[in-house]
Amino acid sequence: MSSGKPSEEKSEAGAGLMQYSPESMMPFGPVHPSLKEPEYFRLVLEGEKIKEVIPRIGYVHRGIERAAQERTWVKDIYLFERICGICSFAHSICFTQGVEALSKFEVPRRAKYIRLVVAELERIHSHLLWLGLVGHWAGFDTLFMWVWKDREHVLDLSEAITGNRIHKSYATFGGVRKDLPDDIKDKLLAEMSFIEKRVKYYDELVSSERTLSVRTKGVGTITQDAARRLCPVGPLLRSTGIARDVRAEDPYAAYDEVPPEVQFRTDGDIASLLSLRMGEVLDSCRMIRVAMEKLPSGPFRTPVPRSVPAGDSAFHVEAPRGELFYYSKSEGLSSPARVKIRTPTMANLLTATEMLKGRPLADVPIVLTGMDPCFGCMDRVSVIDLDKSKQWAFTGEQLREYGIEYYRRLL
Amino acid sequence: MNAASCNGCDIEILASLTPRYDAERLGVELVPSPRHADVLLVTGTTNPLMRDRLREVYEQMPNPRRVVAVGACALGGGVMKGCYNVGHGIDTVIPVDLYIPGCPPRPEAIIFGILKLVTGEPRDPVAGEPIVQ
Amino acid sequence: MSSEEIESLARKLKGKTSKSMNSTVILVDPARVLDACLSVASFEGFYHLTTITAVDIWEDIELTYHFWKGRSFVSVRTKVSKKKPEIQSIAASLPSAVLYEAEIRDLFGVTFVGNPYTGKRLLLPDDYPDDLPPPLRAEADPETIRKRMKLE
Repeated sequence: MSSGKPSEEKSEAGAGLMQYSPESMMPFGPVHPSLKEPEYFRLVLEGEKIKEVIPRIGYVHRGIERAAQERTWVKDIYLFERICGICSFAHSICFTQGVEALSKFEVPRRAKYIRLVVAELERIHSHLLWLGLVGHWAGFDTLFMWVWKDREHVLDLSEAITGNRIHKSYATFGGVRKDLPDDIKDKLLAEMSFIEKRVKYYDELVSSERTLSVRTKGVGTITQDAARRLCPVGPLLRSTGIARDVRAEDPYAAYDEVPPEVQFRTDGDIASLLSLRMGEVLDSCRMIRVAMEKLPSGPFRTPVPRSVPAGDSAFHVEAPRGELFYYSKSEGLSSPARVKIRTPTMANLLTATEMLKGRPLADVPIVLTGMDPCFGCMDRVSVIDLDKSKQWAFTGEQLREYGIEYYRRLL
Repeated sequence: MNAASCNGCDIEILASLTPRYDAERLGVELVPSPRHADVLLVTGTTNPLMRDRLREVYEQMPNPRRVVAVGACALGGGVMKGCYNVGHGIDTVIPVDLYIPGCPPRPEAIIFGILKLVTGEPRDPVAGEPIVQ
Repeated sequence: MSSEEIESLARKLKGKTSKSMNSTVILVDPARVLDACLSVASFEGFYHLTTITAVDIWEDIELTYHFWKGRSFVSVRTKVSKKKPEIQSIAASLPSAVLYEAEIRDLFGVTFVGNPYTGKRLLLPDDYPDDLPPPLRAEADPETIRKRMKLE
């Protein structure tokens, strides 16, 4: 992160963009180039290589932290869930557990196990979603279609347990809203076998497939030193060899009884991220099996009083993308006095800009997707390219094709 | 187009193209540029930064064009209603032909909605006017 | 960091400590925040700055810098007056703070002197009215913001 030189870049974040015609200004999103997601990274290029990356976010900024202060504690659970469609349950358990810690609400053991199972299901769905997108951005649409088809199995499980595929509205203060269905154990175990088989296949596929390996090996490398300075979280951090995971280091829900086998790699590049996330999916499958075997009987929820005593609490969970942090402050009223949220993508953003420096433009889609950004969480960033002498901008689709073509020439 | 959405609707729209739901067999194709599109699917509530983008994208679509608001946020703000940086529905920015409710709507609902749009069936229950002209 | 070490650090910085569940908070004056953060970050394993939280406490803005290791947070807390909401940025030494500070600048109007983020705004729209209070302050009113930004 450094101060850009305004005279070279010809513009401030807002003003310069108006010079381009609307079509060339079409921003692209990390989710899918055809989905017009609003995002801004300004890239300063020197020749073919990226010299500087300056993020400008705000395109999905909705004002949620403020709205939370005007709604009741329970309504806020449903609000925070919808910060992000992909890690919705992580938000909901981080918030509910933070408030439970503050209020000293007891959560029954069974509920903790159920929360673990649903959280791990979410991790699996999120990583599979990501894998499909990496495939798409690299020009490997078959991978995208296959992976998303397999991911439907996970969404089915989510629906069977919570009633919803995406926004589960399942966690509440004191536990979960309803118990697991009676027949779910066999179904879960069967689907875990299915997912394990498919993920092992994908793991082998992506490491041996040339189109992917040439774009991911040695690309976007971060060192451990950089990681300690820039403080990324989640898989990005663990790909450098620093094996920190909130579930293991600061256990919550049932993770003290069903700990993860923290996955890490040492190369710090995108290929490590690929292999690491696949490893995490396999570990999640293992944890779900263990949790279902050890599942305690008992209530799934304790009734809790409506009011939250005054005080504050800092709580974090390991969302699929990394450490998600909620700071909640209560003044004993029916609404929170403050809820501060720090999402993993916000913590990873600086590291992502480091990963891009010195890389050719063609790496942008893969590196940005590699960090698994969730801008709904953090609030979007768009890409526009500027060159000091020429100016042009890419649409998402153009950038994707540029990347594919660039690496095709190398093969 | 994602106009300040949480991504929930977006991933269900994408899911409707994947093999289980496979909207493509019905002739639906996701295109990267509004200039090649007949229908614009919009998710999210819009916010001041996205409003102009949304209008630009709409302007670039050649006639005949249709706009579909997908999800509760695009309909009227959804759970985000009242937040300081959101609009209450995309119909405050561009005209909308079809609304698909849900948070997020299932892929089946999205495909159902698009088909309704294309076959011109639905009628506004209140005014008795066809929703798609 | 043991509690003795935290106590002695607090004394050195002429601050106080308080404990809230898993967080130990070192309360200092704004001028000592940079020292405090550097001291905490230099302790074995406490390099991870989780985030910087800002809370509007009527006449002041309270800032908390959360550092995480193991099962606890060690946080540095201070407050700046709303009449002059300025504080030294820690980003030159702890680069991970850049965006957290920029976010607080947008949402609370606190100036972090020396923060290298160059954009005018990080999160808010460029045309957020300069005469309205920053949105997360208590005196800001979401309805007024919506009207001024012409959000129906």
